[in-house]
Amino acid sequence: MTLPTFDLLQPKTLDEALKLLSETPEAVPIAGGTCLLVDLRERSTSADVLLDLSRIEELRRIETVGDELVIGATVTISEILGDPSVAEHAGVLRRACEMFAAPLIRNRATIGGNLAHASPAADTAPPLLLLDTMVEIQADGRKRVTPLHRFFAGPCETHLRPAHLVTAVRIPISKGTPRWTYEKIRLRKADAISVVSAAALAVPSKAGPPEIRIALGAVAPTPVRAWDAEEVLKGRKLTSEAIAVAAKVAAEEARPIDDLRGSAGYRRREVEVLVRRCLSGLMGTSGGEADGG
Amino acid sequence: MNHVEPKPLPEVKLPPLKQVGKPLRRVDALGKAVGATVYAADFTMPRMLHAKVFRSDRPHARIVQLGVSKARALTGVACVLTGEDVRGAKLTTDMPGQTGRAARAGSDAPVLALEAVRYVGEPIALVAAETVALAEEALGRIEIEYENLPAVFDPEEAMVPGAPILFEPDNVVSRYTIRKGDLEAGMAEADLVVENSFRTPFVEHAYLEPDAGVAWVDEQGVINIRVATQVVEHFRSVARALGVPENRIRVRGTMVGGGFGSKEDVTVEIFLAFLARETGRPVKLVYTREEAFLATSKRHPFTITHRTGVKRDGRITASRIEMVADSGAYPYLTPYVLLYATGMATGPYRIDNVHVDSVAAATNQTFTSAFRGFGGPQAALGYEQQMDEIAKALDMDPLEFRRANYMKTGDTTCTGQAVTSAVWSEECATRALHALGDRTPSTGTKRIGRGLASTFQSYGRITWFHDTSRAWVGVEQDGTVVVRCGVPDIGAGQSNSLCQIAAEILGVPLDRVTIYATDSAVTPLAGTSTATRQLYMSGNAVSSAASAVRTRLVRRAAEAMGVREEDVDLANSRAFVSKEPDRFIELAELAKRCAAEGIELSELAQFNAPFTDGLDPETGQGDIWPDFTFGAVAVEVAVDIETGGIELLKCAACHDVGRAINSAAVRGQIAGGTAQGLGYALMEEFALEDGRVVTPSFAEYLIPTSADYPAADVIVLESGTGIGPFGAKGIGEPALTPAAPAVANAFADALGVRIHELPLTPERVIEAVDEARGKGLL
Amino acid sequence: MEARPVTLRVNGRTHDVALAPNTTLLEALRDLGYTDVKSGCEKGDCGACAVLLDGVAVNSCLVLAWQAEGAEIVTNSGLGTIEKPHPIQEAFADTGAIQCGFCTSGMIVATKALLDGNPDPTEDEIREALSGNLCRCTGYGQIVEAVRVAAELLRRSSSSPASSLAEATSASEDGREHDHEDRVLGSGDGAEAGDDT
Repeated sequence: MTLPTFDLLQPKTLDEALKLLSETPEAVPIAGGTCLLVDLRERSTSADVLLDLSRIEELRRIETVGDELVIGATVTISEILGDPSVAEHAGVLRRACEMFAAPLIRNRATIGGNLAHASPAADTAPPLLLLDTMVEIQADGRKRVTPLHRFFAGPCETHLRPAHLVTAVRIPISKGTPRWTYEKIRLRKADAISVVSAAALAVPSKAGPPEIRIALGAVAPTPVRAWDAEEVLKGRKLTSEAIAVAAKVAAEEARPIDDLRGSAGYRRREVEVLVRRCLSGLMGTSGGEADGG
Repeated sequence: MNHVEPKPLPEVKLPPLKQVGKPLRRVDALGKAVGATVYAADFTMPRMLHAKVFRSDRPHARIVQLGVSKARALTGVACVLTGEDVRGAKLTTDMPGQTGRAARAGSDAPVLALEAVRYVGEPIALVAAETVALAEEALGRIEIEYENLPAVFDPEEAMVPGAPILFEPDNVVSRYTIRKGDLEAGMAEADLVVENSFRTPFVEHAYLEPDAGVAWVDEQGVINIRVATQVVEHFRSVARALGVPENRIRVRGTMVGGGFGSKEDVTVEIFLAFLARETGRPVKLVYTREEAFLATSKRHPFTITHRTGVKRDGRITASRIEMVADSGAYPYLTPYVLLYATGMATGPYRIDNVHVDSVAAATNQTFTSAFRGFGGPQAALGYEQQMDEIAKALDMDPLEFRRANYMKTGDTTCTGQAVTSAVWSEECATRALHALGDRTPSTGTKRIGRGLASTFQSYGRITWFHDTSRAWVGVEQDGTVVVRCGVPDIGAGQSNSLCQIAAEILGVPLDRVTIYATDSAVTPLAGTSTATRQLYMSGNAVSSAASAVRTRLVRRAAEAMGVREEDVDLANSRAFVSKEPDRFIELAELAKRCAAEGIELSELAQFNAPFTDGLDPETGQGDIWPDFTFGAVAVEVAVDIETGGIELLKCAACHDVGRAINSAAVRGQIAGGTAQGLGYALMEEFALEDGRVVTPSFAEYLIPTSADYPAADVIVLESGTGIGPFGAKGIGEPALTPAAPAVANAFADALGVRIHELPLTPERVIEAVDEARGKGLL
Repeated sequence: MEARPVTLRVNGRTHDVALAPNTTLLEALRDLGYTDVKSGCEKGDCGACAVLLDGVAVNSCLVLAWQAEGAEIVTNSGLGTIEKPHPIQEAFADTGAIQCGFCTSGMIVATKALLDGNPDPTEDEIREALSGNLCRCTGYGQIVEAVRVAAELLRRSSSSPASSLAEATSASEDGREHDHEDRVLGSGDGAEAGDDT
């Protein structure tokens, strides 16, 4: 089936892109196109104008700027996997990228696209939420950042205003190497949308037990932090009892739906299982990951 | 079933062969490897139009009004055809490629729906336009008004009086009755009676190549159809639908990118023929993946109930089986799929007292038809799961229980057909289990289970179809060999096997054999690439033709060298004295001499399968197939009792293939068939909700990727007792049959409870986990 | 938006062709005659349409042709021919990794990308690298074997070129193919193949 007709604008610089976007605010950005082209082909979305970001070099960089790891919006999932500073400072993001779709898709799909498409199952989102990531958004003559957890509005909806573009994600680099875990349930071992995903991070604090963060995917209208479960663990040492309570609370605060891949009941039950596994993994002796995959 | 020793094989002396049996590079391999091989959608012709099909979006509705004038008016649209334009044209959906006089099952579907539609995806109109985009736009301009009709989505509901009728008079498309021995006496004799029901879902073939073809009218006015098909003989169906003589339609089959039974039905041929004739221009039609999902056949869902009487020592005394199958909206090959399931309902076991009652009913869902195994895999999901359940009830090891009941050569199936070839069920089962090695220990939340399935599957078509095949083999003046055969190659190496047989018999290296195939006008008709029949039927035809040519060559060579015929052999493109290989004539030289002397260097041979008369209508007793292939799969799984995930740890498949023609191809068929069976058990369900497909693409309908399962351990046995060339049996369908029940049995072993339907999704597993916990098993 | 002239570099050849913006690279390649690039699903689920874009394996159905301008595109038919097959193609042909062949071109492209970056992959790495290429015929076992054989052939040929089977292909460091006219199949005249066997 052919794609619907559209105009394709191909700016070479970010400035050019933002200018074009201010002139044509209805233009839909495209980079890897791995979701957008499918939606266009199926006519589940429409666009008269596409704004191709794939030629813009500035959006394609990964750099450490001060105490932030900045990943440009059109950096591909494969490029994230290959980058040493991601491996060092955002290991949990790397792990999610390893299990993202399949290699041919990873070579084209971008982090900006994954967030802007805002599927409740967006794979990069739970790790980024854990890391207190900021989303950098620009429009012609304007630039601001917003916390990722305030970026998502609903299933496949964001708070991105017309003529604005996600240009980067900014991940705070923490001192020391926080331990992290990541778990994902899917119906086959590659190229399958998450049924449930969970990730946890233990951020060392100056005094007292580490701050525990928990994020969930595919069990709410958007990817979310499990704030209630985190609250339960605030200031507490991570013990089996605490983990059991937190996992139960996470399951209660999830808002899963029934769909082709799983029922709400199954998903809610598995939130408890995956959060428990993630938190138990954080109790491990050495730094880095302890996931089940 | 741990530490099983392979049962020693009987002494078999297979004559040594020079090329047959070896994993030679297939004749089609390099072309495919470098991307040179052309498939149906790769053809372009001058002035070619592009076709699209307008399809129903209702499961059951009356067509109140259909308006195509706006579509016709679109610039660039060459024609739009509706049911009015092809009034009376019927799609004959049963008996593909069959020449026997057996009564047809009598099923037809309209080429284009006229008054009503019966499933979502049913074709209503055809468009041909200058570009694909224009054809799509034209589809969008077709106006239709439907009146929804009550619909039915379950075959048992379809048979309740008052259900909407799709197939007169009562939605029953087909029924079989098997009465063997004395069921009552057998049940009375039993120490224990075990009853279980099992359900299997719709399954999609998921071949990689979407259905496609190009048709044109040639300079003689003959309609040519290039098409990816398993049946060249569909030219007859096309001719009938168009109302033209059969010799005015030419089907040129292409290398098929996977069929598995779906391309056995007529798919694009009749549409293309009508459009090419109407427009006078070449027309191309390529299905989208979604169309391939929506509008081509599926595997029949079955509900199978087994009630089995058994003695404490393990001997089965009686078996009562009921089967209900979903025929979907049109019968297609349902009557035969049901027959296969019925005829193989009891499995490779000796049971003297059997009743089988099977029925298939129509529903407003995608039509069901041929899919690798053709009812055999569904039957196996019934009997092999039941075997494990009985073993459990008797507290017997599943392998030991099977040993007490395996057929032997000479024993009869539930239709009273005696198996005449080797029955190596135990040899296969023990080797498959042995290959699993030591049992992995259960740890943490992972419970380990092992499962076995011993199955049989027919090869060769139903014998009252009077199946035939033919092939032509000739030697050129330079000693190269030509094979001409109508055989469609759907990827299993159908055409290569024929070449390898000719190469062996004529003593010519495989790379000096060329096959011209799959053209209804110029290659001898070889019948369908279905029913695991090509190697058997066309292989025997080629063998016969090549042998006739060989005889003449050998005679002439013997004369030339002054020796007896029995002293001459052919190899490496030479005729030579066996005991003195330095005395030889080059085949090319021999061929030239024969040609000059009027000795025919080619032969057209026909091979006939055994012809029988059909089953007794009351008892269902009689022979159905030429022969059977016996095999087994054993698997080990790890069940995560918290997530419901099932991981396949090990898999072994062992089949007696009679004789392998190309060992790499045989191993590939077993590995591939096993993978399809694993997908059937673990992840594949073509799902409909109220007649609407909710798994319309590869994103929703999951098939195994390279990451999902470890390579199966493939063990090939050769009894030499097949009725194919060199003692070959067939392997195409048998390769799939044991895998799914082996997985189902492994799961039940892991948890101690069984899931009675497929696929074994994480959710179903979690329900089973809760049940096991409730029973104190976890 | 109207079609505009686009320059596509495919298998070392340059094509200038007018294309509308909504043309996918898959459509453009097939219309140019590169019918080895197969259409299996048009939505990135099956990998049959895989090509190398500047050495990176991608689903060409999800790349707009305009986006591919300026890139070096390599399809399976650019790696080798019947007369001079690439070692990967030979390995596939010889290990039974090809049955119906429809997934083969995409599978070989993905294999090329894998071996360019990882000349000695483990079985797990092979299976992961090919996990976006669906095959329905083989069960993948012989395909994994073919990749292993191909890796071996390529390692041998890079260490002792004279004794290798792979004399035709010299892959540069970034995985691009040099322009060898004789290795590229005939111009984009859409495959009139005659009687295919």
